[in-house]
Amino acid sequence: MKTNGKWNKYLIAGLVMTIIAVGIALLGAFWTPYSTTAMSAAEKFCAPSLSHLFGTDNFGRDIFSRVMRGVGTTILISGLVVLISGIMGILIGALTGYFGGLLDEAVMRLTDAVNGFPSILLALVIISILGSGRQNVIISLGIVFVPSFIRIVRSEFIRLRDADYIARARMMGVGRGRILFVHILPNIFSTFWVSVMIGFNNAILAESGMSYLGIGVQPPDASLGNMLSDAQGYLALAPWYALAPGLTIVWIVLGFSLFSEGIRRLQG
Amino acid sequence: MIRIEDLSVAFGDTEAVKNVTLEIADGEILGVVGESGSGKSVTALTLMGLVSEEAQITSGKISMDDVVLLEAGKKRDKALYQSYQGDRMSMVFQEPMTSLNPTQKVGPQVEEMLRLHMDEWRNVDDASGRAEGVREQMRSKVLDMFAAVGLREAEKVYDSYPHQLSGGMRQRAMIAMAVILNPDLIVCDEPTTALDVTIQNQIIALLKEINEKQKNSMLFITHDLNLAKRICHRVAVMKDGRVVEMGPAEEIFRHPREAYTRQLIEAVPSRMKRHGRKGDSASGNVLEVQDLSVFYRDGGNSLFSRNRKQCVVSHATFDIRVGEVLGLVGESGCGKTSLSKAILGMNRDIEGDVVHHSIRPQMIFQDPYSSLNPTKTIGWLLQEPLRAMGRRNASQAMTKADMEAAAHDMLRKVGMEEKYFDRKPSQLSGGQRQRVSIGQALITGPGLVIADEPVSALDVTMQAQIMELMLALQEEMKLSYLFISHDINVIYQMSDRIMVMKEGQIIESGDTEEIFRHPKEDYTKLLLAES
Repeated sequence: MKTNGKWNKYLIAGLVMTIIAVGIALLGAFWTPYSTTAMSAAEKFCAPSLSHLFGTDNFGRDIFSRVMRGVGTTILISGLVVLISGIMGILIGALTGYFGGLLDEAVMRLTDAVNGFPSILLALVIISILGSGRQNVIISLGIVFVPSFIRIVRSEFIRLRDADYIARARMMGVGRGRILFVHILPNIFSTFWVSVMIGFNNAILAESGMSYLGIGVQPPDASLGNMLSDAQGYLALAPWYALAPGLTIVWIVLGFSLFSEGIRRLQG
Repeated sequence: MIRIEDLSVAFGDTEAVKNVTLEIADGEILGVVGESGSGKSVTALTLMGLVSEEAQITSGKISMDDVVLLEAGKKRDKALYQSYQGDRMSMVFQEPMTSLNPTQKVGPQVEEMLRLHMDEWRNVDDASGRAEGVREQMRSKVLDMFAAVGLREAEKVYDSYPHQLSGGMRQRAMIAMAVILNPDLIVCDEPTTALDVTIQNQIIALLKEINEKQKNSMLFITHDLNLAKRICHRVAVMKDGRVVEMGPAEEIFRHPREAYTRQLIEAVPSRMKRHGRKGDSASGNVLEVQDLSVFYRDGGNSLFSRNRKQCVVSHATFDIRVGEVLGLVGESGCGKTSLSKAILGMNRDIEGDVVHHSIRPQMIFQDPYSSLNPTKTIGWLLQEPLRAMGRRNASQAMTKADMEAAAHDMLRKVGMEEKYFDRKPSQLSGGQRQRVSIGQALITGPGLVIADEPVSALDVTMQAQIMELMLALQEEMKLSYLFISHDINVIYQMSDRIMVMKEGQIIESGDTEEIFRHPKEDYTKLLLAES
């Protein structure tokens, strides 16, 4: 990757925020201060204190512990969504961009159709067919996110398929598959990376949104979205309940945005 | 009288211009000659007050008729410069497409010069301000100017957008804009580099004529010594930010004092030197082209658009003998590149026959910056043709060590050091990249190599080196070249035989010497006379 070699504020701030978020998620997968599911009638709606950093919820569960676990769930789901849709995007975008023609035309109209629906709505439709749950959230969001990656990859392949060095590779007799994935693909990496970052952020928001609507991660599993959803009934009584997952989402998304902006600037 | 005294300009830690002293007398054309990176453009932009804010004037000053415009250690006086720009000094840029606003008609753009400097050109009597009269007056002045710079149908040009004009016409419009206020100084930064030879000569003649008529001073910046010789009274040669030699144009060319100047002059392709070798006609042809026509379709990629078929090459017939260099000369847009792509099967919309007697002919492109994959190392790039060969045909497969050895060997052959093997193209200069391109094309030993303007994007000294390298390798590896160029002198130096192409047709072909001594077609005569 070509860089101008200068670390910038965006990159450092973004990296620090992201490392903290990922660190908490990793830690949360193995250890939390309290059990994430243990209820305690005596400790309902405790305000934040030293023993319960973010307070407790309507069942007396420790919110900090649940946020730790929820961050992991959210990042894992978003990561898998971006991974699936990214790989699909590269495969389809590379083929349609490089070869063009009728296939390209058909695929592009299809992505137009997919883009025509609001992404959450489309994911809802798919969920209602597949049923709710972690796995189906990943599949449905994966499908919804593919078109944006196809477009990015396709336009880069169109730009590069006529480059002189690709013409020369063809003349040398390099095979098509090798031209696509060895000669062209590394050249789109920097552009693709930025779109992965943006896609990841959107996936986090989409997952939280779906869990909020109650069709994502099911209780008693913690996810930032379903915590927000539960919290809205107690907004006046226990504002910290909503603030904790809400601010955590802001933290992750902001951290990643800064990080991707930093990467973009690093590339000059 | 313009005076640049002891000028140094730095960008951060790097000094682009070092202690440059130049004087331009009234009515004089001073040429500044140098290769890319020599600081000639920075000097011109500084003189015009157009150099970017990052640039620091570390020493010296610039004055015009004893008014100091710029001085080291003082802040740039923008208001002062603005009163000089356009009115007393103006500039003609290299790329006429980007220096005109594409969203505005050409006439009003030129007229804007008048509008901005209304007080200076308008008769005091008219200043009382009948708006309509003024507008008419401006329009007629622009039209007069268009006629003066040789734009026929001035009315039509006035109402055209830049993209509707040819490169030469755009440059004429730019010149009209630059000279309409009759400035004391015109700075021309490579004004003809983007143009074809025949147009180039017209523009040079026009600039000369303007200089004689208006008696303004000119600073003429170019990398082309021949051009400088033709138009300039005096020439300054720049290298690495310094003026290494300065004097009357004729004298510099006849008795260059500095080694660098001599090197520059010798590097210019000319009809004085030639590698006279003959292709061995007895050993047959490497390529035969019979009655080849090439077509180009407009918008053929979209589903519902109608295809318009255009013939870009019509009925070309020729062959290339084994071990021969066939030169193909013509102006841009004449179909040279389309022809070469059709020969290599990159354009399948053709009629006629192409018969290859060589396996996998290769091509070398003009732009060294886009012809190497930026994500790979030089070593990888040199081995890729061998890998591809092995994959297609198992009997030709080589071991990893053999391929690596072959790549190292080729790197040496194209005159590059071992250390470049693991570098990426971005760490190489244009000339070095072109060497790697050549190495990549030759490593599989293709019988035929098509070189499409391989030296046009390079500086003169680099040009000479690459041409020499190509000829040496041709001899060593018994190659045949189809060598394409717009520069007839380059073609002369390289080729055994020549084809002249115009508007998609090969209008003349024959032995190099024969064509140069006794050209039959008017167009060939024109090309020869103007180079």
